[in-house]
Amino acid sequence: MLKADFLTGIAFILLSLYVIVESWRMPRLEHLQVHPLSVPGLVPAFLGIVLLVFAVILLVRSILAGGHRLGLSAEAARRVLSNPGNQRLLLTAILGIGYAGFLVGRIPYWLATGLYVFTFVGVFEWRPGMTRREHVRLGLAAGLLAVATSGLVTWVFQSLFLVTLP
Amino acid sequence: MAALLQNLNQFFSAIAGFLTPVALFHVFWSTLLGIVIGALPGLTATMGVALVTTLTYKLPPELAILILICVYNGAIYGGSRSAILLNIPGTPANAATTLDGFPLARAGLAGKAMGIATSGSVLGSLIGMFFLATVAPLLGNYALKFQSFEFFWLAIFGIVISGHLTALEDPMKGWIAGFLGLLTAMVGQEGIHAYERFTYGTTELLGGFALIPAMVGAFGFAEVLTVMRSPAAEVVQEARDSIIPRLGEVFRYWRTIIRSGLIGTIIGIIPGVGEDIAAWVSYAAARRKSPEREKFGKGSVEGLMAAETGNNACVPGAIIPALTLAIPGSAPAAVLLAAMFIHGVRPGPMIMVESPQFVYQVVAMVFFSTLGVLIYGLTLTRFLLWVLAVPRTRLMPVVFVLCAIGSYAITQRTFDIWVMIGFGLFGYVLREMKYPMAPLVLGIILGDILDKNLRRGLVLSDGDLTPFFTRPISLVLWLITLSSILLSIEPARQALRRGAQAIRPGRARREA
Repeated sequence: MLKADFLTGIAFILLSLYVIVESWRMPRLEHLQVHPLSVPGLVPAFLGIVLLVFAVILLVRSILAGGHRLGLSAEAARRVLSNPGNQRLLLTAILGIGYAGFLVGRIPYWLATGLYVFTFVGVFEWRPGMTRREHVRLGLAAGLLAVATSGLVTWVFQSLFLVTLP
Repeated sequence: MAALLQNLNQFFSAIAGFLTPVALFHVFWSTLLGIVIGALPGLTATMGVALVTTLTYKLPPELAILILICVYNGAIYGGSRSAILLNIPGTPANAATTLDGFPLARAGLAGKAMGIATSGSVLGSLIGMFFLATVAPLLGNYALKFQSFEFFWLAIFGIVISGHLTALEDPMKGWIAGFLGLLTAMVGQEGIHAYERFTYGTTELLGGFALIPAMVGAFGFAEVLTVMRSPAAEVVQEARDSIIPRLGEVFRYWRTIIRSGLIGTIIGIIPGVGEDIAAWVSYAAARRKSPEREKFGKGSVEGLMAAETGNNACVPGAIIPALTLAIPGSAPAAVLLAAMFIHGVRPGPMIMVESPQFVYQVVAMVFFSTLGVLIYGLTLTRFLLWVLAVPRTRLMPVVFVLCAIGSYAITQRTFDIWVMIGFGLFGYVLREMKYPMAPLVLGIILGDILDKNLRRGLVLSDGDLTPFFTRPISLVLWLITLSSILLSIEPARQALRRGAQAIRPGRARREA
């Protein structure tokens, strides 16, 4: 957690500096004769300064506890990537972003949803060495769930809630 | 006395208003859906309320809010089932339930544990409901005295207290999460001069980040990622004993029930803290006061009762500030608040002036949802065992499909799907680094309040900071806020301790 605090400390310092600079650059609206204490940049600047203070404390605290020794190496990266939990996480994120970010809106919604559900179940339930019968059962289960989800969600949102689907 | 009778009259009118086949049908399905959502590890109450909000757009406001309250209350209760049967809290609010619920189930008393959880949840909800009916009107009338100075401190107070209580090990992370939420709310057209902040010409950002897609991301997509990363849950316990609790056994712990109900309600009222903290604090208080404290953690009926009473009492408690101040008491209440705005209800200090009957309708909604919880709690066993056996690899893709379409359906912009994805990934990373989500969400809601009221206050006082610190309510709020910060800093805590000892030398000597 100390290494993570070190990295997030840096990220939050950069974010708060960015917010402070951007707030300073916001117009003072003098031509509208607005009160100088009602200018749009005042509150973001205040929040940026508070976040900067917290981020500096976080960073200093992690450095004092040795969090700056990140110990990055190819071996450490390989260890992280070979962890089954992390692999599942990565795959879930890729499938989700691929479906919601790229498929939806480009192909018919029902097709995108069906494909996503089918692929998700197939990818996560497939095991090496499965028999032909198990393959068929998995395909059937994934297909049924895909058709049911896609059909029901499309019907509910399109026909019942009158949403124009992407 | 006349006021009390009038309140009772309004409450019974509201009850009568919901005694229609349509309203009862909605109570029937939405409470069941809430219980199922809560029971399934990975589906939280916040996510459930956010997803179901998207299903209520076309309904009249009263029915929509009724459905959402049934889902909310049902989900907080439903989480106890997986906590008892799987040793996995269905929602974070049921984490304390696992401590005694699972040992009871392992000892062959799963039915008894579920019955006690049902009794605790129902009684907790009723205690919270009583305070919702009595405190909300008072707070609503009192809130009319609030001006910009008080609202500014209320926003800061909410962030600091929520940050502190949701990240007890490292409150600074809670505060950072809260300030990130406040900064997120700065994106878009500001409310005084209509200047576009941080939008860089993106028209979709003019109105800022929409709350529902952001919350569906932070609680839905992030939860899907968390569930898929963790190892699969295996054992489902069978319930062979009776699920209907004996009244004597329930009321034996009446002190614990009342205490936990009060604690849960009070924690609910505190902005952005929520049901999980309510359960933990109720559990800790029950353990401290119990003559059987050695049983806690090993299958104590009292411990289970305390946790489940506390978390469900928090539900009506969290609705109190949402209704009267437009500041949510918990993350699910934040979605409920957003849903109220979507449906044209205007919660806030004016609610007791503009639509006092709505407050009593909400009390009636809590009553019906509690009734639903009681009926399902005492009858549903096999069905929930079957639901809990659904593998996550089949549940999570369906959940994610709902996250995507739910985010899109509000304004029908694909941009909101990207907001959901962005907040999901960001929320997941923050969660992994032990940053709590509740202050972040609270920050998104309070950002606008803080922004407008700080600037309005400064303009009203012409730059003089004195009213921010000297007006009575402001004074109380900033003193509590400052104390909360000081108490979490070790050197400051030591200095305070030394100061206290210096004031009381006699006691210090005795302690030495």
